[in-house]
Amino acid sequence: MKLIVFCLFTIYCCSLVKASPMERKKLQEVLRELKMLKRDFPNTELMMNTPPKDIEDCCCLTALTCFRETLLQQFGISGKYQKKLYKSLNHTLTISGLNFCNTETSTTNCSTCHSHPKEKASEFFNRLESLVQRGLSRIN
Amino acid sequence: MMPTRLLLLLCLIGPVFAIEAPDVDCLIINLKNVSCTWNKKGTPKVNYTFYSSFFNKKEKSCPQYLTENNMNIGCIQPCESHDRFMTFNTRLVHGKDRFKETHGLKNRVKLNPPTNLTVLNGSDFNLWFYWNHTSPARLHCVESEVRFRTNNNNWGSSKVSPEIQKYCINSPSGSSRYELQVRNRIDDSCGSSDFWSDWSEPVFWGSNSSIDSDSVPLWMTLLYVVGAITLILLVVMLLQRERLKIILIPAVPKPSPILHDIEDWFQLSKGLKENFKASYNEQVCPVREYNYVSQSDSMNSDDSTSSVSTNQTHCSVSIDVNDAEDLYVPLSSSSSQVPSEEVLQVSD
Repeated sequence: MKLIVFCLFTIYCCSLVKASPMERKKLQEVLRELKMLKRDFPNTELMMNTPPKDIEDCCCLTALTCFRETLLQQFGISGKYQKKLYKSLNHTLTISGLNFCNTETSTTNCSTCHSHPKEKASEFFNRLESLVQRGLSRIN
Repeated sequence: MMPTRLLLLLCLIGPVFAIEAPDVDCLIINLKNVSCTWNKKGTPKVNYTFYSSFFNKKEKSCPQYLTENNMNIGCIQPCESHDRFMTFNTRLVHGKDRFKETHGLKNRVKLNPPTNLTVLNGSDFNLWFYWNHTSPARLHCVESEVRFRTNNNNWGSSKVSPEIQKYCINSPSGSSRYELQVRNRIDDSCGSSDFWSDWSEPVFWGSNSSIDSDSVPLWMTLLYVVGAITLILLVVMLLQRERLKIILIPAVPKPSPILHDIEDWFQLSKGLKENFKASYNEQVCPVREYNYVSQSDSMNSDDSTSSVSTNQTHCSVSIDVNDAEDLYVPLSSSSSQVPSEEVLQVSD
């Protein structure tokens, strides 16, 4: 019994150690897909609900959800890069990689997606890119 | 009317006496400090008080001013590595004058140059260079660039991917002197910085007594001079001495459809030419054909023996006579007669 518990604990610790490089790879993948979508996107003047430039640490996941849902509403998942990006933004590794919140000290109330003012599509993509880069700069 | 004119005059003169808004320029140094200056348009005429804050953080006054001619021209204050993703607010105050600005500092980062640059001669006989960076940036966020040169020649540069802090020069020459420097910046995946760091201190490897590419040794100069003189002498000799010219540069015969005497193709001396001409004569040796005459016919004309005659003035031919009855008689008349039993000898 003790041996089983010890083995399970070891496996759990190993999974934690490996998580960071996998999260980093996932976020890098999101960046690549975003760059491809930006390059081929036809209408950069389209107005969309966009999270703000300054996002508090504990509101990053809320902002991620807003980016993902706005992407789905505006473009759907018909296009090749839209579909890939949507799936990547919904991935558990992306969510864990952008979770900067220290829940013990958090008292933040995050804005809803529809409350954000509309910005141009180019600004929308730049802010999403900035959020992912922020995650990569913090991951080990 | 008068107050209107006075007001108009004040509006025109006012901007002349108003203080020009200083332009604050901020840069994050090594992801540890923010450095802001406001002397881009020249040293300010008044001493400003500087306040700043990142988004959602408390505003602070400047802990350390930069001065020039006893005037405040800038401020350095500490920051955290991820603060650059937030808007940076600055405020300059002098009396009633307040100048506010907002800055986006994500890309305005300058790292310190790499340190501990070392060189090792690897077991694979290649030259390996290693370095470290001192910023709190993650290793996968820092890209590097190396530049190197051999024997003080022109620099060559090469980019090094993030996470890699080494560079290799293959099969270095033992007689050359290598110099290498490194610089770095934040990689694109982490919000690339617009500025490279300064170049690191150089590191050297190789012979100190390597030949400077600008100076040529004395013996090489002498060798070039002697070689040039020899070449000139050879050309002069070629022009002066026909015999030498013929030996060194033989004439190539020009092919022609008209056949000439082949002897003319060779540049032979007269004596040699004479030797090729034939100086002996050979006399022509006439050979006659003999007719066959049977013995019975010959006996009718002559009872004793058949006769064969030939002209043997200059030649003789040997013929084996197997059958005495088969004899040949010359078609034309001859001056001598030979008995049939004897072997006839004809020699040339």
